Amino acid sequence: MAGWFALPREWISSFGEIAKFSGKILGQVYSLRVLHFFGETLRQCGVLILGSTLVIWGLVFIVGLQCGIEGAYFTRAQGAPAYAGVFAAWCDLREIVPYGFGYMMSAKVGTGIVAELGSMRISDEIDALEVMGIDSVLFLCATRLLAAWLVLPFMYMAAVGAGFFASYLAVVQQIGEVSSGGFSLIFWMFQNPPDLLYSVIKGMVMATAIVLVGCYYGYHAGGGPVGVGTATAKSMVMNIVLVHLIGMLGTQVFWGANPRAPIGG
Amino acid sequence: MVSTVADRAFAPAKSLLEEVGDMMILTGKTMVSALRPPYPYGSEFVGQFLFALRLCWLPLLISTVAVSYGAPGLQAANFLILFGALDRLGGFFVLAIIREFAPFVCAIIVAGVAGTAITADLGARKIREELDALQVLGVDPVKNLVVPRFLALMLVTGLFDIFAIIFGITGGLIATLVNGAPLGPFWATFFTNASTTDLWGSLLKCTMFGAITAIVCCYKGMTASGGAEGVGKAVNQAVVITFLGVFAFNYVFTQTLLATHPEITVIR
Repeated sequence: MAGWFALPREWISSFGEIAKFSGKILGQVYSLRVLHFFGETLRQCGVLILGSTLVIWGLVFIVGLQCGIEGAYFTRAQGAPAYAGVFAAWCDLREIVPYGFGYMMSAKVGTGIVAELGSMRISDEIDALEVMGIDSVLFLCATRLLAAWLVLPFMYMAAVGAGFFASYLAVVQQIGEVSSGGFSLIFWMFQNPPDLLYSVIKGMVMATAIVLVGCYYGYHAGGGPVGVGTATAKSMVMNIVLVHLIGMLGTQVFWGANPRAPIGG
Repeated sequence: MVSTVADRAFAPAKSLLEEVGDMMILTGKTMVSALRPPYPYGSEFVGQFLFALRLCWLPLLISTVAVSYGAPGLQAANFLILFGALDRLGGFFVLAIIREFAPFVCAIIVAGVAGTAITADLGARKIREELDALQVLGVDPVKNLVVPRFLALMLVTGLFDIFAIIFGITGGLIATLVNGAPLGPFWATFFTNASTTDLWGSLLKCTMFGAITAIVCCYKGMTASGGAEGVGKAVNQAVVITFLGVFAFNYVFTQTLLATHPEITVIR
């Protein structure tokens, strides 16, 4: 019976430590002490851009296609294929792009951070940093968080573009029941800049949580090569649950009481 | 000179193709050795099945309720209230939960929870040269390690789909109650719109997601190399490839199902 509740028990026991560690990192970023290592921050930005951008855009592109075909078939069934743009606009911008972004962030960036920091911990490199008088949390974790905040808003907006483009391809070019102009008219009518801002906030909260959880599990890895693998797997579990919870809370907060649709008075 | 530049430019594409080919070969080997007697993998199969069940049930429960309350629940309910047609939410949930969200949330959770654990486990055994030791002892790693994981993940993902559908619908019920509407119309439109084709499509899709997850995660675990960082990197690559594979397969499968079974898209 014990094994069935091992996961929630571990979450509860590590929640406080994760919160404390995250608070420390956030404090270091907000107090701008992280700027001592601005060069390292820029290097981490480069790693993010070169390593993760294309994969994230690729996944968002695929889920955008998915939104497009579901929207096209659903609105056709309602007898209003010209309104496929409503489904695509809401599905892409409000829900699926944040989720796709969160999934790929946790898979690529989150586990990447755990693997990297974990192997540094195992090979005693973090202890070496401390011996040299460098604050290892500041150097390793705070720089990564600042790099994520610098790069990801732009990457996220480009990912939204990739999702929109994919939906356009699926609805207009593949299914082909609505003209390009008709699709664009409805598509842009059902969204406005505040929607994009809310979507970006949703994505950024997910990204922050993923980087912090990744840093915690990587920094506290132990137990040889096996420990690094286990820590990576554990961080993935927590990240995915967090992504879903943040997605739900974001929807409730931003669109729960107000659909923000150009219908009615 | 030209050939070295070309080699360097196409090296990532070439290694990707090689990897996909290797995974296909592993799939073929797994299927052949699953069917050909003897069958020594019974206890390992049960162990892996219970392991996945134990790890995944809670994340899956939280995630399906959260996703279906947020994405299709609140957004669609808001939209339908504008037209005074909140009772139609049940019909929409057939599309949203059975066809889309339940299978893919299931695949994401199984890949992220059980898949990563499998890669970490096999990767650790590879690093400690246990897999080589098994081979020296005359034990086939594919038959004794990959086959039980492959079968167990396929079965567990397929069965978790039902679990995900149930809790996904719970999310929809919460969204209906939050809007102060009665549940009767939700169930009425849900059951008139639900079809057997949707359900078997969902189950088949989910089972295939499990197969993709198992093959990718086993392959990445068994080819891990390079010490401590190697296992972590293997887990990282395994989830990335699994997610891309799952979503690409989802697109192709859904499109094929919708195009070949037009009756499931009719609103009743």
